[in-house]
Amino acid sequence: MKLTTKQLTLCAVLTAMALALSYLENFFPLSLAIPIPGVKLGLANIVTVFALYVLGPGQAMLILLARCLLGAVFAGNMNALIFSLLGGVSAMLVMIGLSRWRRLSVYGVSVGGAAAHNCGQVAAAVLTLGNTAPLYYLPILLGVSLFTGALTGLVTACLFRALAHTNLMRE
Amino acid sequence: MKSSPKLRPCLWDALVVLLVAALAAACALAVWGGHSGSGPLTAVVTVDGAEAERVELDRLKGTAERTYSGGGYTLRVSMEPHGGVRVEEADCPTQDCVHTGTITRAGQSIVCLPARIIIRLEGGPVDKDAPDVVIG
Amino acid sequence: MKRFAAAALAALMAAGLSGCGWQTVDPDEARESIQVIAMDTVMIFTTYGEKSTHADYLSEDEVRRLESLLSRTDSESVVSQLNNAGGLGISVGEEVGGLLAAAEEYSLATGGAFDITIAPVVSAWGFTEEENRVPSQEELDGLLALVGPEHVTLDADAAALTPGTQIDLGGIAKGYASDRVAEILKENNIPRATISLGGNVLAWGDRPDGTPWRVGIQDPQNADRADAYAGMLKLENAFAVTSGGYQRFFEADGRTYHHIIDPATGYPADSGLTSVTVVADCDWDEVDGRPGVGTMCDALSTALFVMGEEKALDFWRSGVYDFDLVLVTEDGRVVVTDGIANEFEASEESGYSYEVVS
Repeated sequence: MKLTTKQLTLCAVLTAMALALSYLENFFPLSLAIPIPGVKLGLANIVTVFALYVLGPGQAMLILLARCLLGAVFAGNMNALIFSLLGGVSAMLVMIGLSRWRRLSVYGVSVGGAAAHNCGQVAAAVLTLGNTAPLYYLPILLGVSLFTGALTGLVTACLFRALAHTNLMRE
Repeated sequence: MKSSPKLRPCLWDALVVLLVAALAAACALAVWGGHSGSGPLTAVVTVDGAEAERVELDRLKGTAERTYSGGGYTLRVSMEPHGGVRVEEADCPTQDCVHTGTITRAGQSIVCLPARIIIRLEGGPVDKDAPDVVIG
Repeated sequence: MKRFAAAALAALMAAGLSGCGWQTVDPDEARESIQVIAMDTVMIFTTYGEKSTHADYLSEDEVRRLESLLSRTDSESVVSQLNNAGGLGISVGEEVGGLLAAAEEYSLATGGAFDITIAPVVSAWGFTEEENRVPSQEELDGLLALVGPEHVTLDADAAALTPGTQIDLGGIAKGYASDRVAEILKENNIPRATISLGGNVLAWGDRPDGTPWRVGIQDPQNADRADAYAGMLKLENAFAVTSGGYQRFFEADGRTYHHIIDPATGYPADSGLTSVTVVADCDWDEVDGRPGVGTMCDALSTALFVMGEEKALDFWRSGVYDFDLVLVTEDGRVVVTDGIANEFEASEESGYSYEVVS
């Protein structure tokens, strides 16, 4: 994959933003309501959705992987890596698929991504705990993903509107 | 820019929402539906008030070894398939949890006060003659 | 915007849908059970009825309130203030005053076998510090000089201790807590419940199937087996409290020392008993939140363990208090008083021989 300087810069900025959002998530501990270690809201998906449309699937995936790896390094918790990777990659794959379907808006794509994100997290919990108990929370998490997905969709739509007339959007 | 997404939600989005909701409902039925009544014998481990883990004993293949930590202490717990949970080893000062020995029936529990860990058995076959509560 | 509203509505509906699956509790049984660690023990509140959840959490709050009032290790508690007053009289409030009065009554009634001033001796054995040791005879003699109900002066809400005397209400705190919880159950119209506060049990009402609650008495010889019982009590509206040397003990120089100290000797009671269970009726009309039958059972279980089989049965026959007994002896017998013989079920696999006394 060959990146232009502009693309590379954008990737770096977006990775930094995604990391910041991942950190911000710690202040909304979903784990209080759903006691599975590692389960998170998925605010960083905002960046994934944005990158998916602006930079395309390849670079969006790069940003995602960089975010997951760096996040785990910063947190000093390799256990968290499997959670963010499984969640993030599932969300990414579903959103790549959904974004091909042009009838859907960012909202539909985000909701699908959030649902996949939570499925991936639960899968990670099942794997790390070696126990199917976390499945118990899957229905709740899927319900929650409707709201978090709508939220990320809303934020992304706002982002696009705000940036619509900047040269960021013109290639 | 690779592609310009639609920024307004449309009815097709509602389709995704419905799909997710249907998935949630299906999962709810599959995961929770079977839990009515007494359910399978399950060891529920809580650390400092928060549920840390549930282990469905019947699904274990062979003896499982787990460690739980709380309050600066660590408990090594063994779980047998079809019941039989005991604390093998603990570094807590009281050793009450180790003294409790093996629990086998729903309603029984092992507790480590210093580590604030409770292991309780739930579910399992209903035995009308089993005690509702134990003193001593 | 309309479309967004439609999508939001759909999301809400979907959430409502999945919300329905949230209720997995059997609707036939409004049952709530919570486990709480308080007063150095595990408490299980299992209540039934419309306000079961409310009653459970009220009970937890109440137990925590009592703990902060009566704890000897919490320096802020009223009991600690009294212990640290250096012999001066302080106001302890109506509640603690009432408990001190009850403690004095049981102390006098049992000839000193129950005594809240034994606290420094228990500490000397390390049962409060978790670092067990065998104190010397001189040390015990010195401490025992300050043990006895005469070292507590009580005048309504004011109390004073002889300088050096320390009290610990641990011997009645859980019993009193069970009296308080009974009041909460009564106030909240709880039809049935089992309340387990360490060795103190309150069987409130009956089982959902109309039969009495089954209360297992832990087999002291197999204290490490949670499913070994010395027998089973079938109880409705009753308090039951067990005291046994197996509950807390340590070993030193090949000997076992347990935590129930005989105020007469300063040594762990060596009375030939391994556990004493005191059972008494819980009359809903008499439940008023003051130290009552629960408190009595708690105090008597300790006292009768110290007294031993003969004296305990004599005390039961004297009829000073209305209660029944299940005694487990070191030589493998289980002695049941005839008032609860019909409610008692022997445990076949336990290997005990059973006898009913009158």
